[in-house]
Amino acid sequence: MADVLLTNVHKSYGHVLAVKDINLDIKDREFVVLVGPSGCGKSTTLRMIAGLEDISAGTIAIGGRVVNHLQPKDRDIAMVFQNYALYQHMSVRDNLAFGLRNRRVPEKQIAAAVDRAARMLSIEPLLDRRPRQLSGGQQQRVALGRCLVRNPKLFLFDEPLSNLDAQLRAQMRLELKELRQRVPTTSIFVTHDQVEAMTLGDRIVVMRDGVVQQVGTPLELYRKPVNRFVAGFIGSPSMNFITMRVAAQADGFTLNCEGLRFELPARLFSDLGRHVGQSVCLGIRPQNIRLGGAPGAGYLRLKGVLMVNEQLGHEQLLAIRAGASEIRIAGIDPDLSLSAGVEIEAAVAMEHLHLFDSD
Amino acid sequence: MTSIAIAPVRADGFFSALAPRGKAVLLALAALAVCLLFSFPVLWLMLTSLRPGTGVYYVHRGTEFTIDNFHEVLAQEIVLKALFNSFMISTLATVLSLGITATSGYMLSRFKGPIPNAWFSSIYIFRCVPYVAWVLPLYFVTQQLHIFDSYWGLLLPHVAVHICFFSWIMKGFFDGIDPSMEYAAMVDGCSRWGAFWRVAMPAAIPGLTALAILCWLYTWNEFLFALILTAHETPILTVVMAQFVHELGMEWHLMSATAVIALVPALIVTLFGQRYVIRGLRV
Repeated sequence: MADVLLTNVHKSYGHVLAVKDINLDIKDREFVVLVGPSGCGKSTTLRMIAGLEDISAGTIAIGGRVVNHLQPKDRDIAMVFQNYALYQHMSVRDNLAFGLRNRRVPEKQIAAAVDRAARMLSIEPLLDRRPRQLSGGQQQRVALGRCLVRNPKLFLFDEPLSNLDAQLRAQMRLELKELRQRVPTTSIFVTHDQVEAMTLGDRIVVMRDGVVQQVGTPLELYRKPVNRFVAGFIGSPSMNFITMRVAAQADGFTLNCEGLRFELPARLFSDLGRHVGQSVCLGIRPQNIRLGGAPGAGYLRLKGVLMVNEQLGHEQLLAIRAGASEIRIAGIDPDLSLSAGVEIEAAVAMEHLHLFDSD
Repeated sequence: MTSIAIAPVRADGFFSALAPRGKAVLLALAALAVCLLFSFPVLWLMLTSLRPGTGVYYVHRGTEFTIDNFHEVLAQEIVLKALFNSFMISTLATVLSLGITATSGYMLSRFKGPIPNAWFSSIYIFRCVPYVAWVLPLYFVTQQLHIFDSYWGLLLPHVAVHICFFSWIMKGFFDGIDPSMEYAAMVDGCSRWGAFWRVAMPAAIPGLTALAILCWLYTWNEFLFALILTAHETPILTVVMAQFVHELGMEWHLMSATAVIALVPALIVTLFGQRYVIRGLRV
């Protein structure tokens, strides 16, 4: 087990900058998730840590040792790939033993380690099969087993659940969490799925266009996103954004746009003073909007017309039009009967408002 | 007044109107016709090889058959030597070509940069040169290197041609193999070379087998290089066969018997490997 330190790591392909100036300090036994849309540089970062890509600048240290010029085999890491990357010409048993045989571990120890990993992942009956005879979930377990059997310093996961169907993915997520409690090795997990990131990560690194946007715990990212991108990426349904113009008034500020006007007290939103006369982006999570009038002074009132409602069984999602803005509301009682065109009154607590620079 | 366009009713085709049994019979007949078309020259060759020298022009109506032709050709030292040489050169050329082609195809598939690009361009240029145009320069080169009429004098040109023709096909095989397996092997303790040897090569075995068979058959059947680059020291079967046509006449019966003998190893290789050829070329 080891900590991982990335210092000013760059990666460019010719003139194209894939990863820009990443600084990351991953503690021993920590599970860190790199998340972001396709092409944001998360997989490139992981491959640089693995040694499968050269780095253009900066240093990567694993367990206090700079590994920039070490081959992947010398970094004492294990990696699970998106498509499992099992050796098709070998049995499951040989797949698991491959890494240990390369390190010339005695066969007796290999057999014991393989049996232990197989037992842990419940793949004992599959040991003599070939990978192509296994289902997606079973292949995924074998790929995990191949990592576990070597007891490395660091686990790397490159979107390992993205080839599974939704149900199996949810199950594998749980199994990964459980496995992590039993084998608390430092891990870096890459995904584009924010649900996976939120559920698995001790800390999450949100990336966009090769640049780290924010690093924090799942709750920090959800509650205090530093910019509009993070706010929109984390949380489902996505946060509502309304571009509004700031004006000063006697004891605070007003935010205005077509069909909406909010009054905000200066004591809670002192930062708005710098934006008077300019536009800002107001963010409200769909889960933070409640139906009905404002219950107190610390709330903003929203009025709009219901466009559509989506029934999910355990809740309803509403999309309402307020002026020129479309606002989504989540967590509505599924038994509440609402038809399109009806006027909706809702409220949101001021403490749940997020303000970002307008792009 | 509105006009209504009526779509023409499509009549069922002849084939779809047939009963399933009728379809099967028709397909079997078509397959038989194609088989006959391709096997006719071979059957004719076999019949000719079993006719006496006087009967080869009446193959279709003669009744006299003999295996003396086979005895006669197999009694000739040059035929036996040619059989051995052809077999050795085909096998050695296959082994050498595949060794180089596998690494060449892997490089073209997995690596980008000036060296693979230059290699790719060279192969492309060599492929553009007509095959026949190589023969005369190769004759002079083999003379200069004192390898004319030797194994090396024939092997090296064959290997060069195979590398140019088969590197692209090999690249295609490796393109079809997921590179993640090699990355996993590298993380699991292999060097890049180790990952190629222990993971990529076993995965490419169907493709390699297909290429080996094609390569062997190509060299076994090759005539032009053998004719120009060999003489009395290293007789090659295809050239020896052609020498049954000489200034004193044409010994079709002996030529046919030699051709039938030459068919046997090729047939064995094809029967053994057709499964791999089909699977390999499907990649």
